[in-house]
Amino acid sequence: MFFKKNVVIPEYYEFFNSVKIISGYKALETIPFELSRLGAKRPMIITDKGVAQAGLIKHVVDSFGGTDTVIGAIFDETPQDSSNVVVNQIADIYRAQKCDSIIAVGGGSAIDTAKGVNIVITEDTDDLLKFMGNYRLNKPMKPFVVIPTTAGTGSEVTMVAVIANPEKNVKMVFTSELLLPEIAVLDPRMTVSMPPKITAATGMDAFTHCVEAFIGTQKNPICDAFAAAAMELIRNNIITAVKDGGNKDVRLAMANAALMAGLAFSNSMVGIVHAVAHATGGVCHVPHGIANAVLLPHGLEFYLGKADKSPTTKENIESLLLHAAGPEKYVQTPPAERAAKSVAAIRDITGELKKLCGLPVRLSEAGVTEDKLETIAKTALNDGAISFSPVEVSFEDALGVLKAAY
Amino acid sequence: MKSVSDYKEIIPKKKWFSTLVTRIFFFFIGIGMQTAYRIDPEVKKEVDSWPETFSFRMAVVGGPSMLMLKKGGAFQYLGEKEVFYADVEMWWKNITFAYLVMTGRISVPNAVYHNRQFVRGSLIYTMSIIRVINVVQTLLLPNFIARFYIKEVPKLTVKKLVNRAITYFNVGYGAIK
Repeated sequence: MFFKKNVVIPEYYEFFNSVKIISGYKALETIPFELSRLGAKRPMIITDKGVAQAGLIKHVVDSFGGTDTVIGAIFDETPQDSSNVVVNQIADIYRAQKCDSIIAVGGGSAIDTAKGVNIVITEDTDDLLKFMGNYRLNKPMKPFVVIPTTAGTGSEVTMVAVIANPEKNVKMVFTSELLLPEIAVLDPRMTVSMPPKITAATGMDAFTHCVEAFIGTQKNPICDAFAAAAMELIRNNIITAVKDGGNKDVRLAMANAALMAGLAFSNSMVGIVHAVAHATGGVCHVPHGIANAVLLPHGLEFYLGKADKSPTTKENIESLLLHAAGPEKYVQTPPAERAAKSVAAIRDITGELKKLCGLPVRLSEAGVTEDKLETIAKTALNDGAISFSPVEVSFEDALGVLKAAY
Repeated sequence: MKSVSDYKEIIPKKKWFSTLVTRIFFFFIGIGMQTAYRIDPEVKKEVDSWPETFSFRMAVVGGPSMLMLKKGGAFQYLGEKEVFYADVEMWWKNITFAYLVMTGRISVPNAVYHNRQFVRGSLIYTMSIIRVINVVQTLLLPNFIARFYIKEVPKLTVKKLVNRAITYFNVGYGAIK
């Protein structure tokens, strides 16, 4: 144990995920059975206006046809940045309509809101603040199904929820294994209508989850397997998904990739890219996927610049080339060049996405102004992800990454 | 075949040495944090950014613990005081894990990466507390040992040496008291 470094199998790791995953064509149709298995017959659907307007809720409602399950209520007004006010409002509807389970349909915001509603209902409270932070929840939650309509966040398999509290001006972070849904359903019908730019940004979000999980400090063989498989799926499908959004095979592949990336990073954790991206989103309201896409190569270059302090991270970035660029590129590249080529491979993908749909590749293109960089760097130091960085990150380091990405 | 009455309750042996070492380490960290608040501007800035009344507990599941309380402009070590709630709680999952860390056989960052400990409470304050503990460790430990506990050990300065001497004095005084 003493002085041990560069081990292939970590001397210790933990992996947890209890979510049943249902993926494929007409996968939604299995939800009524799965709910009945959990003793639920009256679910409430939580979604947002965009999902409802795209007609996606109809697929979910139709899937209950011919069964004895009744949909207690549909809440389709979840805002982009959900708050405790919205959560309490939904909980009131849930109670009034005597619902017994929750189905979240949407991206990160709808899923996080549904997780918040589950806390409020289960703990029988109207004050989410009391449960903020890690491991503050103790009671088993109501049956919870998640149907993602984006392929990026991986929220369907993560144990985190972020909900704003406008009164106290804080973003409340909740972390508990109890927040995991019982079931995640991936049905290609739910992601085909996603616009190209959102497809690109969410896809790069998932790719960033894979990369940070693969090179992270809690890296382990199980997470590596998920991250590697997800990177291969994204590498092979993201461009087609942006070009030909109606292709259901490609959409299903991307949805699976995002889920596997979620499984990987929720156990391996993330690092400087996510810490700075969270802060960029918080300060300048840059969508998380775009912030990750912009910052990922610069975060990797930061680690390479500190290779003397963490040689293992450099080795991991070298190995990344196999998954980011494919086996042919990997064997053709001399070992000494692999780390730099890994970064270049990621830049090739984001560059192509920029040409196809205008995905920003610099912070200045994403609406960040230079005067905000210091505030972002300061905020990043308080992000939990920074403690999982393989090297110590100072204010100057975070600012350096931001300036390079600007 | 054994009868039901042959099956006896098994009480695992107490790990008294690991518990003692951990308890001593908690005492050092506690007094160290209390002292660092008075003498280290970095620590003072961090602690002052916390709410007016704020408690932090470091504990081992089923084992020893330490409690720090910020109240009325002071940051106090309250020893092994049992509390129902602390704003941030840092738990070691087992006394063996705590012991391995306290004796430098697993670094603190590695213990975090391995999930051998967990935090209950706000992550933002946790990050701040980790920064405070890092400074306290550089005050308590010589640099060649501190590198087992923190990711990056700051350069040794005269000011650091003076502060270290004050911390040692306070720990010694606290132990006698």
